[in-house]
Amino acid sequence: MLFKEQVALVTGGSRGIGRAIVLMLAQEGAGIAFSYLKSTQEAEGLAQEVEKLGRKCLGLQADVRDFAQAKELVEKVKQHFGRLDILVNNAGITRDKALMLMTKEEWLEVIETNLGGTFNVTRNAIVTFLKQKSGKIVNISSVSGVAGMSRQTNYAAAKAGIIGFTKSLAKEVAAYNIRVNAVAPGFIETDMLAGLKEEYRNELLKRIPLGRLGKVDDVSAVVKFLLSDAADFITGQTIVVDGGLFIQ
Amino acid sequence: MQDLENEIRNMIAEIIEKDPAAITPDAKFYEDLGVDSMMALEILAAMEKKYKITIPEEKLAQLTTLKETVAVAREFLEKEGRHA
Repeated sequence: MLFKEQVALVTGGSRGIGRAIVLMLAQEGAGIAFSYLKSTQEAEGLAQEVEKLGRKCLGLQADVRDFAQAKELVEKVKQHFGRLDILVNNAGITRDKALMLMTKEEWLEVIETNLGGTFNVTRNAIVTFLKQKSGKIVNISSVSGVAGMSRQTNYAAAKAGIIGFTKSLAKEVAAYNIRVNAVAPGFIETDMLAGLKEEYRNELLKRIPLGRLGKVDDVSAVVKFLLSDAADFITGQTIVVDGGLFIQ
Repeated sequence: MQDLENEIRNMIAEIIEKDPAAITPDAKFYEDLGVDSMMALEILAAMEKKYKITIPEEKLAQLTTLKETVAVAREFLEKEGRHA
């Protein structure tokens, strides 16, 4: 097991990619804490699933947009487990709309959740990592932040921001044995994609060289690698997981 | 009392790689001694470890001189019911 005796915090862990990351970490032996905003039922189900794997699990309701709640989240994890080794900033939302129709609220909500949330939780965890001179952080960005996506100016700006945040923090804390990387998923089968129209979906599939949508486990496998010792010499990087949709 | 100050002075000297004699009680960490925020955090962490106390990170801003640093250490030692 890769993360035995380690404790991980995953934000937005109750559904989608976050949920897959929680289960992957549990399978690899980590104690798990995850935050969720609204999906209480899903969170309870997930906590039970993690416990079935024989791991301790703490599901906490928290709005990562709020600095004070993010602080409380990190404090509770440290109190409960007595340590923190891994942080996965995954909590994210979309409010897709053409820019000419986008409201200030839709802009801010996406920036404050995706980018602000990443700052809020990382800021509250970083001192612990600095003091213990170890820590691993993976931020979930998006191919939208790498390549751009129409109707996603808010989301793409936030996700590109996460990449800059990742690069800068990686340089800032490398001397303290803290690695910071990002994963940029492309189109992954989650609730976020559930609303996709059939014709758009087919069109999309034609554009993905590997000919399928991604699975959440395609993403969690890369997160696992980045958090593991196998990636010990990798920091500040963004790994795109998109079936070849965007090839630089 | 003098002992605590000396211990902390030596601890800081080691972290910031300066001669202990340069760390006078009122020498300013940032302006006079070239301490950066990461070194300040190391000083805080070293005190926590040595004296088995927990100092909230909000206190970092108070670590500006040896005198202030000793005062912070003393405050938290006293909170633990220990006197230095």
